[in-house]
Amino acid sequence: MKSKKIAALALALTMITSIGAGCGTNSGSTASTTSSDSSAQQSTAASTTAADSEKVTLKVLAGQSTTDAGTEDMIDKALAKKYPNITLEWECVDWGKDFQPKMQQYMQSGLPDIMIGKAQDVATYGSKGLLGDMTGKPYLDNVLDAAKPGVTIGGKTYGIVYNALYQGVYYNRKIFADNNIAIPKTQDELKAVIEKLKSLKITPFATHFLDTWSIGNITMQFAINDVFNKTPDWGDKFRKGEVSFSTSPEYRKAYEYNKLIYDNTWKNETFSLEQTECDARLVKGKAAMKVSGSWSIQNFLDVDENADFGIFPFPNQTGDSKLIFEPNITFMKSANSPNQDAIDKVFEVVTSDKDLALEIFNFTKTASMIKGVTPTFKNPSQKDIDKYVADGKIVDANTGNTQLVWGGFQEENAKDIAAWLQGKIKIENVLKLSDSRKANSKP
Amino acid sequence: MKDETPSKSENSLLQRIVSQVFITIAALFFLTPILIVINYSFKTKKELYLGNPLSLPKNFSFNNYITAIKKLNMVTTFTNTFLYTAISVILLALLCGATAWAIARCNQKFFKFSYVYFLIGILIPYQALFLPIYIVGFKMGLTNTRIGVILMYIATGMSFGVFLMTSFMNTVPLEIEEAARIDGCNIYKTYFSIVMPLLKPAIATLTIMQSFVIWNDYLMASLFVSSKQLKTLTVAMQALFSQQTSDYTTAMAAIVISVLPIAVLFIFLQKYFIKGMTVGAVKG
Amino acid sequence: MKRRSRSSIMTAQYVSLVLPGMIIFTIALIIPMFLAFRYSLTSWNGMTPEKPFVGLENYKKLFTDANAKDAWIFTIKFTILNTVIQNVLALFFAVILDSGIKLQKLYRTILFIPCLISAIVAGFIWMKMYSNILPAINDFLGTKINFLLFGSQETVLPGLVIANNWQWIGYWMLIYLAALQSIPVDLYESAKVDGASAIRKFINITLPMLAPAMTICIVGITTGSLKVYDLMVSSTGGGPGRASTSIIYSIYTTAISGRQYGYGSAMSISLVAALLVVAVIQLKVLRKREVQL
Repeated sequence: MKSKKIAALALALTMITSIGAGCGTNSGSTASTTSSDSSAQQSTAASTTAADSEKVTLKVLAGQSTTDAGTEDMIDKALAKKYPNITLEWECVDWGKDFQPKMQQYMQSGLPDIMIGKAQDVATYGSKGLLGDMTGKPYLDNVLDAAKPGVTIGGKTYGIVYNALYQGVYYNRKIFADNNIAIPKTQDELKAVIEKLKSLKITPFATHFLDTWSIGNITMQFAINDVFNKTPDWGDKFRKGEVSFSTSPEYRKAYEYNKLIYDNTWKNETFSLEQTECDARLVKGKAAMKVSGSWSIQNFLDVDENADFGIFPFPNQTGDSKLIFEPNITFMKSANSPNQDAIDKVFEVVTSDKDLALEIFNFTKTASMIKGVTPTFKNPSQKDIDKYVADGKIVDANTGNTQLVWGGFQEENAKDIAAWLQGKIKIENVLKLSDSRKANSKP
Repeated sequence: MKDETPSKSENSLLQRIVSQVFITIAALFFLTPILIVINYSFKTKKELYLGNPLSLPKNFSFNNYITAIKKLNMVTTFTNTFLYTAISVILLALLCGATAWAIARCNQKFFKFSYVYFLIGILIPYQALFLPIYIVGFKMGLTNTRIGVILMYIATGMSFGVFLMTSFMNTVPLEIEEAARIDGCNIYKTYFSIVMPLLKPAIATLTIMQSFVIWNDYLMASLFVSSKQLKTLTVAMQALFSQQTSDYTTAMAAIVISVLPIAVLFIFLQKYFIKGMTVGAVKG
Repeated sequence: MKRRSRSSIMTAQYVSLVLPGMIIFTIALIIPMFLAFRYSLTSWNGMTPEKPFVGLENYKKLFTDANAKDAWIFTIKFTILNTVIQNVLALFFAVILDSGIKLQKLYRTILFIPCLISAIVAGFIWMKMYSNILPAINDFLGTKINFLLFGSQETVLPGLVIANNWQWIGYWMLIYLAALQSIPVDLYESAKVDGASAIRKFINITLPMLAPAMTICIVGITTGSLKVYDLMVSSTGGGPGRASTSIIYSIYTTAISGRQYGYGSAMSISLVAALLVVAVIQLKVLRKREVQL
């Protein structure tokens, strides 16, 4: 009984001392937290003048994936070299699940000074007057011109696109080479490739439909090359009632390509398989193709650093599909932040520090959107990308994503497609359900 | 507390053997997933993707653990989680005990109402209320503060805590309180110096039950302490499970690290916990 | 006279013991609930400052929303399965542990450890179990059992029930175990003298004495299952399609990604109402049973 009393006392003492230690070492940070809270909410006289030597703390909300986690430390180092008086206070969350809830949260209390999301976020939040206008700022000149239209609304640019992912059909180059399979450019050629692979007992497509977002992603890839290439404002027309999913043979085709893939993949496993497993199987040679994006590159190289894979655009109805690039990490700023000067300085560093850019591109294994910087990481699909870029056969993913929003629309439609693939509903109903969500389709 | 009733040990040998085999199989079922996680935590990414899931790793290297500690900023996040859990649980024990004791000792309407009022909290799906909760927290200036998240943990723990402690109040003999009152102790002194020490099993039970709930909490921590210095372990771990890419080997190591302290706490306080559950279960 | 004023001072002091907890609880949970009710009467999208008032529109919509209906059906099925299976198995294991086997403490710990893991992680572990580990047993034993429970709409519910039970049986088992161990021995002794068989002893003595524990377990499992969310987040994501979307998961996707915060709030309020009704009914029925026994 006595030893128990002593143990309890010891436990209590350790707790109390850790509280004391915790308070001590972190009193500095709690002070900075409260000061940055107030700076985000009210204008403080000091920060509006923002003289070079004034200490400024900027709040940053970063929507990341596992591949970008860690880039915040690189940015901190680069910033400290040029502007040591500016400190960034980071909040890093998963873009897919938590970026929107966090933005919703902060819309109630005041947006962070800097937000790092994806290019499509500009469409979602820019239209509400929440983002700061960057038109005419010198640092925008460091960004490739191709990246600007996707983040410009009404002539005003609201984001700096930093890097890009490439989306298309990733293929196992060895399988194609060993069996003399040529890159298909039309649907008929694709069907022939599928038959050849089946006869070799190789699964044509690798899929991971457990992740419903993958269904949504590939459907949009199809739509970009079959719908939005002909009608760039299909989304606006849809909301006006001029077109609909049920009456659009092109969009119906885009949905039906899902079935083509589902019929030629590991049907009974795909709804249980998650992405890393799926990517491993492509590298191992169990499957030959995967409709995906460059986020898979990390997975491919983790399984085998010498994996040889390439990329080609999924063939469309007219045989002229283009490779899709998706502007990815995008820097935005809050329209109402009192620290505009400091934010501009941060953006200046981020866009002009070529070493920082190279480090980040190599780390995240993505394509550069900054002028004069080419990533040097090993990317077996780079030669394919270069070919399509040289031929001008690339298209911005946001042609689709800024017309029909992801959350609440594309995502929900993907769930219906999943139910259709499993035989629960008819394709006509899927199209009708997509139509019924019209009100939610606007970014 | 006896471990088994005498009549039970008279069960036939066959019955005992069957029971033993059965419970062993059940235990294996419960243990296997955990062993798998531990197994994975020592594997490399390649072994994860290419090797047989059931095989043992080639080298028992701690690489994943080291990566987990670095990636999750473990010194900070672990300390934060520990701090929030410990302080919240201590305060909960104090507040719930005090509330429950007052409810048990008084018959007025206010106290009967309080009991039901707190119990309704069990029904509130606070995950669905995250936005209003955040708005209230923000209006009170408590967002991104340690105090804010601790107060939230106390609020969400009150319901179960009051329920649990109230069922324990019968174990505190009234005579001792009467004696204290005659000696001149006021209510506060009676509670803190006489009643609380007698509630040790109750406090142990509450400690374990609330500790693992708070330790594993994601929602409140993500709402109220999301900045890098104040982050908790669970929130940091989410970075390993992002939508388009994930880092499973590090995640496995992180899971093991995060479960360990709570498991140790349970093993330590097991005896009190069972004692505590007994009273709660019997008296309801 | 003196006694009265002393007792009203005492009451005030007792009240002061209750107030701090009550204040924190009210501000942190009850006020947000009222805010949510206010939002449920609007068509707010959760982002812009404007909150257009729409009265009871959202509640009317609840009755015609097919996705909400499916989410309710899934959640109710999940709850019923859990309540039955978890209770029966927890009691079963508790009886076995109490029957004089060796290493009781070890088994107790092993069965309890799964609940120390967060539900998000538990969901992830079972996702890996179904897709990688268990199929590997097929290769090992040469069998062809279908372990891909998260892969089809028919089997995703049993898959989640198994994962949920794995996590929580140990917890309720401890409650039953504690209750079993406090049943007075003489009750059994006198029954033995009367010549009662083991089964009769169980039905006439054990079960009635477990009534308070049963109340706690049944109410606990039911409310917990109705509120299930974390389990699906890193396992099925509500899928395939919407086959495993629980009511809270549906609230989240509607209110946040769907940017229909007003409607989502109406769903939350209806969930609270449902939980209230369920809990009250259960408590009335179970308490009555307790008193009778």
